[in-house]
Parts: sequence; structure tokens; C-alpha cells
Amino acid sequence: MQNAKDTFYEMLRSRIAAANPERTIVLRGVTRPGVLVEENEFVSAVTVADCFRLRWIDASVNAENALPVATLTCEVLYETAGTAGNVGMDRGRLLTQMDAELAAALNAWPQKTAKQNYAALATGGSAAAMATNIWWSDVVLGPLVVKGDRFARTAKVTVMSCEEAGEL
Amino acid sequence: MADVLCSDAAVRTADTLLRANGGRAVLLRLPAPAVANNDGEQLGLATPQFQDVELAPCAFRKAESTSTLLISGSAVQAIVGSLKFNSAEVLFETAAGVVVDDVLYTILSSTATTADGKAYVYSLELRAPDR
Repeated sequence: MQNAKDTFYEMLRSRIAAANPERTIVLRGVTRPGVLVEENEFVSAVTVADCFRLRWIDASVNAENALPVATLTCEVLYETAGTAGNVGMDRGRLLTQMDAELAAALNAWPQKTAKQNYAALATGGSAAAMATNIWWSDVVLGPLVVKGDRFARTAKVTVMSCEEAGEL
Repeated sequence: MADVLCSDAAVRTADTLLRANGGRAVLLRLPAPAVANNDGEQLGLATPQFQDVELAPCAFRKAESTSTLLISGSAVQAIVGSLKFNSAEVLFETAAGVVVDDVLYTILSSTATTADGKAYVYSLELRAPDR
């Protein structure tokens, strides 16, 4: 499942960066595309605005097939306070823009990509392509939530992959 | 001129009171800057190095649920300047926690108390690690 999670993040990050190169965040002094995985960052990063934060929630494995099929639910959380120059009065427009970016990234064809194994990165190696794909559903946008001066939304997408031999 | 004198006096008074009421030192644990375009860190495969920076004088009040740490404003401003942070708030948000007597506390919030716009003491709300 870890390879599916990592591959999905890399796919979403590259699609968001391609669609809007200006959607960036600064974390620990480095500018990067505005997508992060909560479980891979410091707790302090979970409130970063104007970026997409991935949170993996449900997970299940159907072992009835020749290759077990893993089904993962990913929440994509995002929020914005608008721009300071507009005194936050454009927060609705900016949230709509984030809705559109996320929907375009996840609903665009193909809704699949080759699964990668990134474990070698820990020892200075590079990602290795695996034999199977991951694929995902259309994104479902949740209701708007007001969090102080921010507008927030949580979207959900279901990610699936075949578990290859030896996968975690 | 009067403003400068007033804020300086507040800073010196706070430092004196902190030294007189504990005057201890704690360590602010800061992660090293991220490595640009490093997928390993973004995927949780690599963790950053950490450096501990001393904060003194401080007064630490331990409580059941959350503890409070009062830190000299001049000590914080010195670190903000030397490590080139934009502000003390960013410094505390970036930190992994505060080490007090070899225990790493999580920073829940930071509040600056100011005189004439200059912070003379910072108050951190800390949470002890789960046992």
C-alpha cells in the first residue's frame, strides 16, 4: 500500500505543479509545489494554507483475486484566507480555484499511472517502476467549512492498486 | 526616543525577573533546512537533521495538561536574527519542540508580550509527550 500512496502523491504533485506553477509553499526553508502528505511532515505543517494536504484514512485489501486489490481512501484537505491585499475578501474565489485545480488534476484522463517503488530513495537510489498500476476514482468535494478567517474544504478520492509480491 | 527607552526598559526588566525566578536554560530543537527537490523527505523516507539552540533566561511552569515557558524576548530576538527567521512566530512554528530536562515538549502556541511594539517576553504553551 505504501507504494500506492507514494505514487499517488507524486502524481498529484506533478499534475498540480503543471496546472498552476504558482501554487507553492515554503516548508523548512524550501519552496516546493503546494501539495504535501500530512503523515510525512511535522505536525506544524498541518495548518499550512493554500496547499493541498493529503491524509490517508480508510484502507482495505480484497484478497479474492490473483493479486490482492488494495483500496485506500485519501482525504485532500485545503483552506485559504484569501489574499492579504484584498483583506481576505477573495477567499471564496481562491477556494473555488483550488476546487478546480484539484478536480482537473484528479478527474483528467488517464486516472491511472504506473506504480513506483520509492524505497531506494532512502539510500540515495532512484524510484523503480513496478509491474502494475494504481488507479483512482473521481474526486468528491465536501461541504465548505468556515475556520475562523479561512474557508476550508475536504475532498475525497478512492485509490486502488494491485498488491504485488513483497509489497508492504 | 521615549519609546525606545520604554521598550528597552521592559526588555531589561523582563530579563531580570526571569533570572530571579528560575533563570534556567532550555533548548529549542530546530530541523535543518529541507533539501530542495528531495522526494525522500517529502515521502517520509528521510528525516532532517536537528540542531538544538539554547534559550535563556527562561522560567518553566510545569502543569498537568499543558506547561508554560516564559522566554526572554531579547534571547528570542537574538536567535531570530542569527538564524535569519522572518519572525519569532515562524521560529516557533518551525521548531520541532523544546527540550526541558531532556524531555521534548511540543509547542502548542506562542504569544508575545510587547511594550511599544517590542517583544520583551514570549510565552509558549507546551505539551509533554504521551507516556
